[in-house]
Amino acid sequence: MSNVIQTPTLLAAAITTALLAGCAGQATSESTAAPAAEKSMAAATMAMAGPAPLAPLGEPPIPPDNLQSPAKIELGKILFFDPRLGGDASTGCSTCHEPDQGWAWAEDFSRGYPGTVHWRNSQTIINSAYFPRQFWAGSASSNESQARGAARGGVAGNGEADIMEARLRVIPEYVERFREAFGTEWPIVRDAWRAIASFERTLVQRDTPLDKYLLGDKSALDAEQLKGKEIFEGKGGCIQCHNGAITSDQDFHNIGIPPNKRWEEDGLAQITFRFEQYAKGQTQEGYRKAKSDWGFYYRSKNAWDKGKFRTAPLRYLKYTAPYMHNGVFYTLEEVVDFYDRGGFDEDGRTTLFKENKSSLIKPLGLTDDEKGALVAFLESMSGEEMLMDKPAMPEYAPLFTKAELEAAQEAK
Amino acid sequence: MGVRVKTGHTLLAATLGLGMAFGAQAGKYPDITSLPDLKINAAKAELGKRLFFDRRISGDAGIACSDCHKPENAYAHPDALSPGYPGNGHFRNSPSVINAAHKKVWMHDGRLGTNLNDVTREMLTEDYIMNMDMRIMQERAKQDPKYVQMFKDAGYGEPSNGSIRKAIPEYLKTLTSVNAPIDTGKMSASAKRGQKLFKGKAGCIQCHNGPLATDGKAYNTGVPENFDIFLDPMNHHAFIAFAMFQGIEDYMNLKRDPGYYNITMDAADTGKFVTPSLRELKYSAPYMHNGMVKSLYDVVAFYNRGGGKDSRKDSRLKPLKLGKQDIKDLVAFLESMSGDPLTSGQHVWKDPYPAEYPVIENWTQVKN
Repeated sequence: MSNVIQTPTLLAAAITTALLAGCAGQATSESTAAPAAEKSMAAATMAMAGPAPLAPLGEPPIPPDNLQSPAKIELGKILFFDPRLGGDASTGCSTCHEPDQGWAWAEDFSRGYPGTVHWRNSQTIINSAYFPRQFWAGSASSNESQARGAARGGVAGNGEADIMEARLRVIPEYVERFREAFGTEWPIVRDAWRAIASFERTLVQRDTPLDKYLLGDKSALDAEQLKGKEIFEGKGGCIQCHNGAITSDQDFHNIGIPPNKRWEEDGLAQITFRFEQYAKGQTQEGYRKAKSDWGFYYRSKNAWDKGKFRTAPLRYLKYTAPYMHNGVFYTLEEVVDFYDRGGFDEDGRTTLFKENKSSLIKPLGLTDDEKGALVAFLESMSGEEMLMDKPAMPEYAPLFTKAELEAAQEAK
Repeated sequence: MGVRVKTGHTLLAATLGLGMAFGAQAGKYPDITSLPDLKINAAKAELGKRLFFDRRISGDAGIACSDCHKPENAYAHPDALSPGYPGNGHFRNSPSVINAAHKKVWMHDGRLGTNLNDVTREMLTEDYIMNMDMRIMQERAKQDPKYVQMFKDAGYGEPSNGSIRKAIPEYLKTLTSVNAPIDTGKMSASAKRGQKLFKGKAGCIQCHNGPLATDGKAYNTGVPENFDIFLDPMNHHAFIAFAMFQGIEDYMNLKRDPGYYNITMDAADTGKFVTPSLRELKYSAPYMHNGMVKSLYDVVAFYNRGGGKDSRKDSRLKPLKLGKQDIKDLVAFLESMSGDPLTSGQHVWKDPYPAEYPVIENWTQVKN
């Protein structure tokens, strides 16, 4: 199995890295996608030799069909914090991506829409601009589609497009801001996702100790962190998947994460668990017997994808505990111990799909010092905490005056 | 004509010139007779009753069917405009659902004409009403042991969204008028006088006929617009979402409820609304599709003026020249179409719901 899995993984990593380079170039030079694709193929071929090295983060890629503008970014910022972009006007992006909780949510499962709890861990927005795949099973391919998906998901925003769009239209400040940013007479909800994505593309962190080090400041990492880097790239094998500038190959792996025990203890979580089996198109048999998140399987429907999740980027993780797709680990020490044991938690639990567990995951034999160094290095991938005050929310106002309504009544 | 004209009032109506045509048609409209008995499955209806009062079948578990269809208000709502889902308002009056099982057409604009299963689905899933993802609803029901037992007892097997949409209509069948004087015959003298006016001089029977006192058709009576739909952005954005979804053009500039136009997209149908049933009016104020008329007296006064102002108003609406006593008599007759309040435990689920969903024990070992 190792070769079958490993090779595409490395290939994907190389393509990802090359695409990022290509897109970053596009933002400034407006080059077309074709040369970028050629570059990635060339890079992919070259990369067969090994994983892409860690690299400093460049400018985030900007999609040519949603270029940045100050008006759009400012609008996106307000929308990101506006709970009215959800079903009952209580749940917006920032509800589960709180700036002071690492732009994520500091519980194992994201909080979810009122009356529900989510079933996966909320991921940070920081540096999401770079990810060609979003959500834990990679079901969104852009910040735009991620925002749309999250706002509409039954245990996330639970909003429908028409009511959210209508809401934006009875908020005069939004009408003005959408007109300025997009040139439309009335706000269109699709443009809300575009504005939010533009705002998210400003939430990047490129000045971490690791970036500084990789850019030539050899004092940016201390001795322990350098030791950790060596383990990361060597004995720990982390770099096999956590590689390149975004520290993720953006591929899908089963690393042995055990099911969250909350599903055994929390009725609300059990409801969502079954709903997700239903909503993600499980077979009747799968719905009946599933006792863990089948991950990438829901998208591919291939048995060998059960329990696989997209490699999580490691940047900004100092502020984004808990970790893993189901938030089972609350500290980096636990994470390192998990890998050191070869993908088992402290109770010896692992994935329910052992047959799919990556052969890259095996006991590492790390000493306590080595584990400490690895944690120290992981923390060097985070810079200062990025906090932000919530902007003032624009208010609803009537679109018509009483006099206009009376005139319309008279004209009936 | 002589054969059909049976009462002095009708003769009076004819002589007052309220339409020879109408006079000629007296008797052609079906009487307001008692509603037929419905066959009800008690276990299914009992399940539907628990669901009807359960807030957990809305998206954020914030409202139940019974929050807009309140037992003490004849299963309508006392506000002019229904409250709607949390986070938005609404743009129409919540109608009584008593006798809903006897109807052939539902919603003020008549956009649902199939069955109560579809009506239930619409109410549950519409984003400005209950905003419920029915897959979550199903899994919530499966997490409540009481429901698991009740679905089983009702013969539905395990809880499913499909059987929820069957059980609620079964419960609605139990909400049928009970002991309405018009059905028992115990009408006051005033109500009897009103009945004659209703069939005669006032011409109400032209549209309000048959067991439900409605012909199920849509008319423009010139009810004034409820400006609160547009002046309150919470209501207005629900209205915009509705109009957008229905494909009504220029919905951002609409300053009136298009009504039945929504179905036909024919301008001639603008401002038409389906004739409401007149049963159970006594406790279901305010009236009309937008709650613009506060009392039954005002309703009769409205028609006595010949309805409201609208260039497309139905031509049969003309000033009726009813006297004060006539109006009182008509109100008495309208009230005689209301039965006993259906507010006891027979119709209302009174047991508390669990505050939390109990955990399914031994979860890893049992089938989902």
